[in-house]
Amino acid sequence: MHIDRRDFLRGAVGTGCALAMGLKFFHFSDDSEAYAAEVDALVRSTCSPNCTGACGFKARVTKGRISTLIQAADYPEDSYNPRGCLRGLSMMDLIYGKDRLKYPLIRTGPRGSGQFRRASWDEALDYAAGKLKEISGKYGPEAIATTIQVPGTGYVQKGAMVALAGLAHWTMHHGYDQNGDLPMFWPMTFGVQSEELESLEWVNARTTMIFGSNVIQTRLPDAHHLIEAKRRGRVVVVDPDFCSTAAKADEWLPIKADTDAALGLGMAKIIIDRKLYDAEFLQDFSDFPILVRQDTGKRLLAGDLPALAAEVTTRTIPDYRRLFVVRSGDAFRILDPENLASTHAELEGEFAVTLADGQSIKVETVFSALRKTLVAYDLKTVATITGLDPAQIERVAVDAAANTPLHVIYGASNYQWYNGDLKGRALSLLPVLLGSIGKSGAGISTYAGQYRIRFNLKSWWFPEGGKLNWVPYLHFLQGKGPRYPKNGIKAMVGGWGNPFDQHNMSNRLKERATSGELEFILTCDFQMSTSCMWSDVVLPAPSWYEKHDLTATILHPYLQLQQPAIKPLFESKSELWIFRELAKRLNPDYEKHFFPELDENAAALKVIELLLATGGPETAGITLEMLQKGPVRLHSPAPDNRQIPFYEQVQHRKPFPPPSYPAPIKATGQFLRSGRIEFYKDEDLFLSEGEQLPVHKETYLETEYKVNPAVREKYRLRFVTKNSLYRVHSTHSNNTILLELQDNKAKVFLNPGDAGERGIVNGDLVQIFNDRGKTRAYAILDPGCSASTVIFEEGWWSRYLGDESYNSLTFPWIKPLHEIYFVPGMWSPTTVWNECLVDVRRMNA
Amino acid sequence: MNAKMKSSMWLSGGVILVAFATWIYQLQEGLILTNMQNSYSWGLYISGLAFFVGNAAGGLVLTSSIYLFGVKKLKPLAKLGALTAFANVTAAMLIVLPDIGKPQRLLNLILHPNFMSPLVWDVIVLNLYALASATYLYILMLPELTGRLAWLSIKVDNVQEFSEKWAKRLAPVALLFAIGIHVVTAWIFSTQGARDWWHSPAMAPDFVSVAIAVGTTVVLLAGALAYGTGEEYQEAFRLLGLIIFMAVCTHLFLMMNDLVIHAWYGSGETQRIMEIAWGHFVWAHIFEVAAPLIGAWLLLQPAVRRSMPRLSFSSGLLIAGVFVHRFLIMPAAYNNIPMTMTPLGLPHTDWSLPIATGRFFPGMSTFIDQYRYIPSSVEVVILLGIVAYALLLILLAIDRLPILVKEKP
Amino acid sequence: MKMGMVIDLEKCIGCRSCMVACKQHNAQPPQTWWNRVFTPGSHRHLTPPAKGVEFFLPVHCQHCENAPCEKVCPVGATYHAEDGAVLIDYERCIGCRYCMSACPYGVRQFNWEDPEKAHVRSEYQEKYHYGYPEDHRHEGRLVYMPLRPKGIVEKCTFCAQYRDKGELPACVRGCPGKARFVGDLDDPNSEVSVMIKQRNAFTLLPEKGTKPTVFYLPPKAKEV
Ligand SMILES: Nc1nc2c(c(=O)[nH]1)N[C@H]1C(S)=C(S)[C@@H](COP(=O)(O)OP(=O)(O)OC[C@H]3O[C@@H](n4cnc5c(=O)[nH]c(N)nc54)[C@H](O)[C@@H]3O)O[C@H]1N2
Ligand SMILES: Nc1nc2c(c(=O)[nH]1)N[C@H]1C(S)=C(S)[C@@H](COP(=O)(O)OP(=O)(O)OC[C@H]3O[C@@H](n4cnc5c(=O)[nH]c(N)nc54)[C@H](O)[C@@H]3O)O[C@H]1N2
Ligand code: SF4
Ligand code: SF4
Ligand code: SF4
Ligand code: SF4
Ligand code: SF4
Ligand SMILES: [Mo]
Repeated sequence: MHIDRRDFLRGAVGTGCALAMGLKFFHFSDDSEAYAAEVDALVRSTCSPNCTGACGFKARVTKGRISTLIQAADYPEDSYNPRGCLRGLSMMDLIYGKDRLKYPLIRTGPRGSGQFRRASWDEALDYAAGKLKEISGKYGPEAIATTIQVPGTGYVQKGAMVALAGLAHWTMHHGYDQNGDLPMFWPMTFGVQSEELESLEWVNARTTMIFGSNVIQTRLPDAHHLIEAKRRGRVVVVDPDFCSTAAKADEWLPIKADTDAALGLGMAKIIIDRKLYDAEFLQDFSDFPILVRQDTGKRLLAGDLPALAAEVTTRTIPDYRRLFVVRSGDAFRILDPENLASTHAELEGEFAVTLADGQSIKVETVFSALRKTLVAYDLKTVATITGLDPAQIERVAVDAAANTPLHVIYGASNYQWYNGDLKGRALSLLPVLLGSIGKSGAGISTYAGQYRIRFNLKSWWFPEGGKLNWVPYLHFLQGKGPRYPKNGIKAMVGGWGNPFDQHNMSNRLKERATSGELEFILTCDFQMSTSCMWSDVVLPAPSWYEKHDLTATILHPYLQLQQPAIKPLFESKSELWIFRELAKRLNPDYEKHFFPELDENAAALKVIELLLATGGPETAGITLEMLQKGPVRLHSPAPDNRQIPFYEQVQHRKPFPPPSYPAPIKATGQFLRSGRIEFYKDEDLFLSEGEQLPVHKETYLETEYKVNPAVREKYRLRFVTKNSLYRVHSTHSNNTILLELQDNKAKVFLNPGDAGERGIVNGDLVQIFNDRGKTRAYAILDPGCSASTVIFEEGWWSRYLGDESYNSLTFPWIKPLHEIYFVPGMWSPTTVWNECLVDVRRMNA
Repeated sequence: MNAKMKSSMWLSGGVILVAFATWIYQLQEGLILTNMQNSYSWGLYISGLAFFVGNAAGGLVLTSSIYLFGVKKLKPLAKLGALTAFANVTAAMLIVLPDIGKPQRLLNLILHPNFMSPLVWDVIVLNLYALASATYLYILMLPELTGRLAWLSIKVDNVQEFSEKWAKRLAPVALLFAIGIHVVTAWIFSTQGARDWWHSPAMAPDFVSVAIAVGTTVVLLAGALAYGTGEEYQEAFRLLGLIIFMAVCTHLFLMMNDLVIHAWYGSGETQRIMEIAWGHFVWAHIFEVAAPLIGAWLLLQPAVRRSMPRLSFSSGLLIAGVFVHRFLIMPAAYNNIPMTMTPLGLPHTDWSLPIATGRFFPGMSTFIDQYRYIPSSVEVVILLGIVAYALLLILLAIDRLPILVKEKP
Repeated sequence: MKMGMVIDLEKCIGCRSCMVACKQHNAQPPQTWWNRVFTPGSHRHLTPPAKGVEFFLPVHCQHCENAPCEKVCPVGATYHAEDGAVLIDYERCIGCRYCMSACPYGVRQFNWEDPEKAHVRSEYQEKYHYGYPEDHRHEGRLVYMPLRPKGIVEKCTFCAQYRDKGELPACVRGCPGKARFVGDLDDPNSEVSVMIKQRNAFTLLPEKGTKPTVFYLPPKAKEV
């Protein structure tokens, strides 16, 4: 018997499932049309928190309210279905929960007291505009600062804020470095902001090595691809913690925290010593054949060699490139930075050369220099540094070399250390040595934050006449820095972020708010976050099911819409409307950029059309109508529009780096003057720091121990703040459904030995403290937590921690190397959350 | 009626009213007012059921054995026996009401009975037992239903003879029902494969022996209270004491037998049971063993039987011990969450899957794998109300009906 | 036809999305969960019981063929639907909780109070509650209501309200690990039957003789 699905639906409603017997069992995704006839509405939107998962969801709307949410499961590749997670599935708890903002609020009590009065929109906006004008008049517009958090989760609404900031010439902090998500090895090694494989490509790797990325939780909707990768190949997890990702791996390396660089170098040494590397790949795509002067440590410039000087004058290269020298066919040759054609250059060798000034010096290839560096990373030493079993290290390295493509996932908690860049540089050696770059299933990926803008946003984000004063957030916290406004930062305008919990030295922020150093704080959010509590004006925004927006994030490279399933709740107004109204009040000229003639919804749709039309090759041919039907893949150079980093560079031999939006190529091109993957950096500071090649450096030497040597004895536990399954940072901190899953308690995970020493047993309320601050949580003795590491799942609103933010413990360390260039969110000082020592004690003891 | 009895009746009446009001309150708010939760789904009320069922038994066992085996000495206690049986079995049925989430749907038991369910069997036997004990009492009272009670009597030629004859005829049936309610009530528990603590064939015989012990004690106590501890009753009391002692011994034997088997087998679950029984509840457990034993042993002592306070204390001790025993049916069953397994890769760990409590109070833990149940005041008040009901019923009957034998035996 | 479910523990990443999908779509009030995912051996989900050992176990009603809950139910409120699912008739249940006691898997949940009150106490906006919004009858019996009355027992229904529309259960649709499968156990060629045969499927507490129709595929042993 065969029953048409629609007949079945009609029948089933009345007569129950007797009919279902003959039906081909279940259908995976429903036939919306037939379904929609029975429900008030079924609307597809995109879950868009900072996790950047951007999962498509369908909201069932009953009597004007969202009754259920379920994954839309409408991605063309079925492998991506059903994308979503427990947080997205319980989003209605935030939409209809007690902390939802309802009306504009103006502060009445002291800052942070949570005392507000309800205001009308006009009143709140007039008041805010008045304050902003006043501050701008007194201290200059750059005294007003705002932050741009993860563009990809809402190009339209966030763009409105950025556009206004630009028009008004405010200061802008880039969320990427503010959050510590910027992996500095990327610009150093590959010249890009960051790159990654889409998760569908994970399954094509034969070896997957994960260094401190808890993908099973932090890339939850993609995690099944990891399980598939494990089925098809091997998955190795290197993590001090036996996290759920480690639990799923073929092999877990319980590394001593912050020693990954040593491990990477040790493995690289094994691969090199045993000649397991892909020599041809290294010759063509890396800087390994480039000659380096042994006297200065600088790379040898072709212009300095008499034999090549003449040829140099015939070459025209962009400003940001240099002509370096390689040895090939028994001669020195210019390495063309704009052409990656095969050179057959020698990878190894030491040569004597005479320079134009008559000086006789010795040069060697980068590869030879690397080999020298690696001498210090023999298996035994590495095993001692990392606390790992030498046999395991060796086996993993040899296995990886034998089973390529290799995919390295390099996680946030791993690089959110002072010397995180060194780790990234060391670990990139592995895929590069094995030629695992620019191919399906190959490469190194970071899946943190993800600020990478996927197409050209200029038309909406950066209006004519606009100018942003980019200041790294760490400079703001330290109160100094190259672009730090001379009068300081006096006002914060925020949205999509919760810095009063989430940011480094949130207590310092609170102090500045309390002391009045910050004269005005405005936050727009859809719930009463800690930052809202500390604001002077709080503006209620709609959630992702109440407005139009356009999203494009990592891991599944789709353009998708946020669409209103319900009307904005209470008096909330979309950010586009909010910033347009503010713009109008600040300067009537600004308003015209924001489509003043259209209502907020029509304007948002208009912006989407504008962005699609001007987005460049990535969005070419994609229209709003297509997106209204479902997600559409962004275009990319790889076959099937797959997101495979450096595909063009390797397959079509285009010079590195590919452009990183929105920076012009000259800004990022200067990071790779050779046009190739660079392991050798010869800027002065790299040389003086001894970091021209990746090395391992001991933790805390430049930070905690330097500031206060006594800390060495006093605070012996590393405070590792990683992400929770139950939150996206502080979003969902107050989700009652998810709180139930956590026993309504913040927890801290301790190694049983460390806990035992301190008389702490399971369930004790403990204080985590150092000289800077303190916080509290319930102790869990975790046999998977390595010694001397305290693991705290970040993201709790301080109201759950007795008003003691866990970020009062951290410190805004700046590594000077990160200041030698400045490209916002690409080469910039970046926060290192984990570079933090603490101790714990029982609260009642 | 003496003043003591009168004030006891007023007191019972008062407690019943308070308990009834409490039940109404519980009906409104739901069972959230109890301290039970999902992993601990039966508490004081169902313990009460087992307890009252036990008390109910002795009465008819005793009464029927008088007629079945011709134990003349006990004759004065016959009606009292039937009365306490009736009071307790109705109390047992009543205590189930507050435990039911939707008592207004009880009719479903008649409309849609599921004959596979031991609970349905129990409802049937309890009702039949109530009927039997009422009938028995009636038949025993027949000869004395005269005067203002005459309207209650039936027309037969020789009332005395009729009463004797039918008492004899009904005796085996009553005995069967008396044993039946225990067996079936025990089956409610012992059929539950999910609960290792209960899942034992020893449970039914044990229930019977406990019932004989405590039911007889109840009759003994009631008899002593009604007739005093005069010499003329000592023979009867001695016999009762003997029955009680033997029943207690049988009960302890059956219980220990069960424990030894559990302990010996030593699987994870049984270990957990032992932990609960000998760990968290060790004092209660010692009491449940010691109290009935000491109580029964004391009752064997002539000096005890001759002194009203000592006799009351000893019987009270025994009854309390049995009550604690009934209460202890639950913890070792419910504190040990049944979904217990040995996780793959961990050969020596027994682990039970936590259960959501189902009761929402902000900030409380949701999932529980260990729960210490202590009845809420609402539960205690309602239980006391039922005790008061049984008491009131007995007092009223003694006051209004010819329960007590006037002439000397 | 006999409904059955297979949960692949190799694929299960312990994310608990199925718990939340179930809770939300089946309108379970605060502190009530039909579906639980835990880390066997540990009191804390996602905390390994011992160094290097951790897997995850989702448990909801096992829809036992020999279901003690059904046998003990005095009024026949718990019953086997024709497709093998064990359901509760919300109009029939008297709330005796005998079934909760008899179920070896601890999956049954009681309505200790009016769910609306719990929603109010957890401070949702005016009378908001989540969940499939309509009452649903299966074979004429009321097996789903968005707000269950206090005093009755509830549990996983294999998502009767969705199944009857030809849709997959919420936990299956919501599982990002793609670890859950449903199908016909009577059909030897169905996906579930094949998986059960080929992958050493096991059931929980087989010693209890309940004959669950929910099967688990063991996690792959780590090759160290
Ligand atoms: N559920 C959830 N998902 C999220 C987010 C969230 O808040 N919640 N946030 C999103 C965002 S913005 C980010 S940035 C990403 C971050 O996601 P991830 O990159 O996964 O980062 P973390 O969770 O912080 O840490 C990952 C692991 O690094 C380990 N680790 C710490 N120090 C070291 C070390 O020195 N060496 C090694 N090898 N390992 C170390 C920790 O033990 C931890 O298990 O997650 C995104 N996804
Ligand atoms: N110690 C320590 N601190 C850390 C980290 C760490 O590992 N350790 N991790 C860091 C990292 S990686 C990151 S990315 C940051 C994240 O830090 P934040 O981005 O500040 O944290 P979120 O909690 O994601 O804040 C998002 C806020 O935006 C609001 N929001 C969501 N959607 C909208 C919207 O559409 N409109 C408006 N107006 N508001 C909206 C949410 O309600 C929430 O309050 O935290 C950092 N903080
Ligand atoms: S929280 Fe992140 S991973 Fe979860 S559904 Fe939303 S976007 Fe997807
Ligand atoms: S949703 Fe799927 S992967 Fe996640 S816990 Fe449930 S069964 Fe496991
Ligand atoms: S798991 Fe429990 S509730 Fe479900 S059918 Fe089996 S015994 Fe009944
Ligand atoms: S609680 Fe309801 S479903 Fe359970 S046994 Fe009693 S009547 Fe049946
Ligand atoms: S089938 Fe439906 S009711 Fe059962 S666990 Fe899954 S979501 Fe919950
Ligand atoms: Mo991040």
